[in-house]
Amino acid sequence: MANTKANQTRVVWDGNMAAAQALRQAQVDVVAAYPITPSTPIVQNYSQFVADGNANDGEFVMVESEHSAMSACVGASAGGGRVATATSSQGYALMVEVLYQASGMRLPIIMNVVNRALASPLNIHGDHSDMYLGRDAGWINLCAYSPQEVYDLNFIAFKTGEDLNVRLPVAINQDGFLTSHTAEVVEHFSDEDAFGFIGSYVGKNPMLDGENPVTYGAQTEGEWHFEHKMRQNHALVNSLDTIRANFKKYAEFSGREYHPVETYLTDDAEEIIVCMGSVFGTTQITVDQLRASGRKVGLVGIRVWRPFPKEDLAAAIKNAKSIAALDRSCPMGTTGALYNEVAAVLVENGMSKNLLNYIYGLGGRDTTTEHLSGIFSDLKACSDAGKRTKPVVQTINLRGKMLSFY
Amino acid sequence: MTEEHLLKGWEEFEAGAILYSFDGSSHHINNSIQHSVADWRAEKPVFNEEHCIHCQFCWVYCPDTSIISKDKQFDHIDYVHCKGCGICVDVCPTNPKSLVMFTEQTTNDEAIRNWPAKDTKKDA
Amino acid sequence: MSDIKQIKNLKDFSTSVERFQGGHRLCPGCSHSIIVREMLNATDDNICVSTATGCLEVCTAIYPYTSWDLSWIHIGFENAAAAISGTEAMYKALQKKGRPHSDKPTKFVAFGGDGGTYDIGFQSLSGAVERGHDFIYVCLDNEGYMNTGGQRSSSTPIGGATTTSPAGKVSYGEKRLKKDMVQIMAAHGCEFVAQVAPSKWKDLVKKTQRAYQASGPVYINAVSPCPTEWKFAPEKSMEICDLAVDSCVFPLYQIEDGHKVTVTYKPKVKKTVEEYCAAQGRFKHLFRPEFSHVIEDWQKRVDATWEYLLKREEAGI
Ligand code: SF4
Ligand code: SF4
Repeated sequence: MANTKANQTRVVWDGNMAAAQALRQAQVDVVAAYPITPSTPIVQNYSQFVADGNANDGEFVMVESEHSAMSACVGASAGGGRVATATSSQGYALMVEVLYQASGMRLPIIMNVVNRALASPLNIHGDHSDMYLGRDAGWINLCAYSPQEVYDLNFIAFKTGEDLNVRLPVAINQDGFLTSHTAEVVEHFSDEDAFGFIGSYVGKNPMLDGENPVTYGAQTEGEWHFEHKMRQNHALVNSLDTIRANFKKYAEFSGREYHPVETYLTDDAEEIIVCMGSVFGTTQITVDQLRASGRKVGLVGIRVWRPFPKEDLAAAIKNAKSIAALDRSCPMGTTGALYNEVAAVLVENGMSKNLLNYIYGLGGRDTTTEHLSGIFSDLKACSDAGKRTKPVVQTINLRGKMLSFY
Repeated sequence: MTEEHLLKGWEEFEAGAILYSFDGSSHHINNSIQHSVADWRAEKPVFNEEHCIHCQFCWVYCPDTSIISKDKQFDHIDYVHCKGCGICVDVCPTNPKSLVMFTEQTTNDEAIRNWPAKDTKKDA
Repeated sequence: MSDIKQIKNLKDFSTSVERFQGGHRLCPGCSHSIIVREMLNATDDNICVSTATGCLEVCTAIYPYTSWDLSWIHIGFENAAAAISGTEAMYKALQKKGRPHSDKPTKFVAFGGDGGTYDIGFQSLSGAVERGHDFIYVCLDNEGYMNTGGQRSSSTPIGGATTTSPAGKVSYGEKRLKKDMVQIMAAHGCEFVAQVAPSKWKDLVKKTQRAYQASGPVYINAVSPCPTEWKFAPEKSMEICDLAVDSCVFPLYQIEDGHKVTVTYKPKVKKTVEEYCAAQGRFKHLFRPEFSHVIEDWQKRVDATWEYLLKREEAGI
């Protein structure tokens, strides 16, 4: 691969098509998957590639459940080759047991997660409940906010997860419907260039090497378990260096540069919203509107959710007076997970700032520039008062009596 | 053999808690063949070559891969992995048996000297 | 397709290079390892094995030791078939792409206990078989969750006392006949389905070699007497096994292409269910007068099933 910018073609793809095309271009050896809304089109698109002889002789295993999907992915990856899948919501929940196995065995499986609410009550639309459910499962979690980013982050995922210094599974998250089903302009590489960026993957300790047999999934009791888990955590924390390096390489290759934490007009911002997912784009518009009227507001998007980029976040928010963390998942008995991350970064860095938490968008509920501009008003009030003047946890666009916590 | 020689710091283990079966052409230190289960045994089987017909029943039915055969002949009992279940004795077809259980304390020479006589009832 | 290993007699068989080593922690006299050794020694090809959570798994890969001289994986209780289907798919993909990890042919085998097969792993087994993966699924059937202290499964036979179907003042233990997995798997359309017993090693090896030659999924149900929970002395494992087949409680037979039945072992003198039960502590209570009907009823069932198998064999359907 030359470190020069590759030629690209502009097409109109939704997030699901962008994911499926990236898997095809990555020449995945085994895809094992089960359809579930809203990630179903990834599996359907890939099936069509297979049907048309366009899947590079890879095997496509149409399993009978998501549990078996991830189990087959683990078996295939341990076999020694490139493996990918896709899922959402309840399917993700069914996989959880095996997600821990994949990361514990250090298998670089790549999974496109089209984020969706978790029942009950049942809901097929987007929120981050599934992503949050798996946040301790030991996977690298990347967040894409648009179809282009879905496409790009898939290649960064393969290159990072399969790096022999990392050897970890990677999830690429995108918002259900808002990203997965919204067609936008995407620039893509030729098949040859795309594959060239990641190269082929041989696999470490392949089960299929009969000359050098290996045992996967041994039981590690008292004297062994702690060491193995901490080794795994060490690899996950340190994978941020590899992710960073691959963001750079990809920037040279594509002209699109990613960062563990994306910032928008944060340098002089007094009020900052920290968020993940497609709401980043809506907030960007809100920031532009408020900036036009002279407000010093900014925006931070978490690109790498695990390993959490603490230093990058600290640098991005250091000049703010007031910060709002947006969580698109019901925190169930405490504050939101992103809020908790921001709060920890403030404490670790001895930074004293007003910090608010907003729960938004559950089950696909709309979040508009008006709502976001309301959050910036709350933050401004805190900045002006020099202290937090609002409850810790508030809700956006929820009907009924005003609901807040703490 | 204790496991202590295998204890390592977190940074030294093979990532993913992988275990290897072989180290070149010999068994890896993590192969269970390197691990003794002899202390599971209350009684041990003793082999008496005099009566053996090398039928290999004991070899095929030993659950602990502890009857070692060479060139289609009974060779020896692997007392490091034998758990003393007694299956080999039970399936041995000769009369008297070519394998008999004795207490751990009995030496194999003593055992052979005290070998049971042919069971005449059985043949009748 | 690979050559069939020549095994004319036990002496031939005893020259096998072992794939399964001692030093594991299975109970003395456990039949699991006897079955596993006989199956793995039936071929010289590479083998990749997946194992469902259970006695075999938990006793053969306790860190820092593995008893497997071949590649082995355990993921969970319910997914041994799904796991090996993934490895098999990777094998096929890398073959097609011209970059296999080994030049030797590779076989794929999943081992599960009856818990991991009849119950929690049933869905994943059904799926992997329906998808036509080229693998052998072997159920080491010891009729209960023995790894966790002998609880009932849907394979526990009627009258069997387990820790969750105990015999008591008013209960004779398990109330239901065991699930007929061999027939269920035959109904999946497997090219080959069989029941085996480790004491009949030649029959087991022959069926296993037939299974290795198949080009799709194979299901093998292996009776695996458990000294600990069936409650008999460890040295009696193979005798109990023989009783199981001689009483026709575990008939040795095979079904090809979903329908063609062959009974591969016909006892010269049929033993009774009563003799089978009398040899095991788990059926002790059935000899109380108030529960004697259980053995009688069970005998009728066993006879009926045996007749059914013989008739199907004779009819060639
Ligand atoms: S079973 Fe008995 S006769 Fe046969 S080989 Fe073993 S010791 Fe010899
Ligand atoms: S006593 Fe059991 S474990 Fe020991 S050699 Fe005989 S059959 Fe094998």
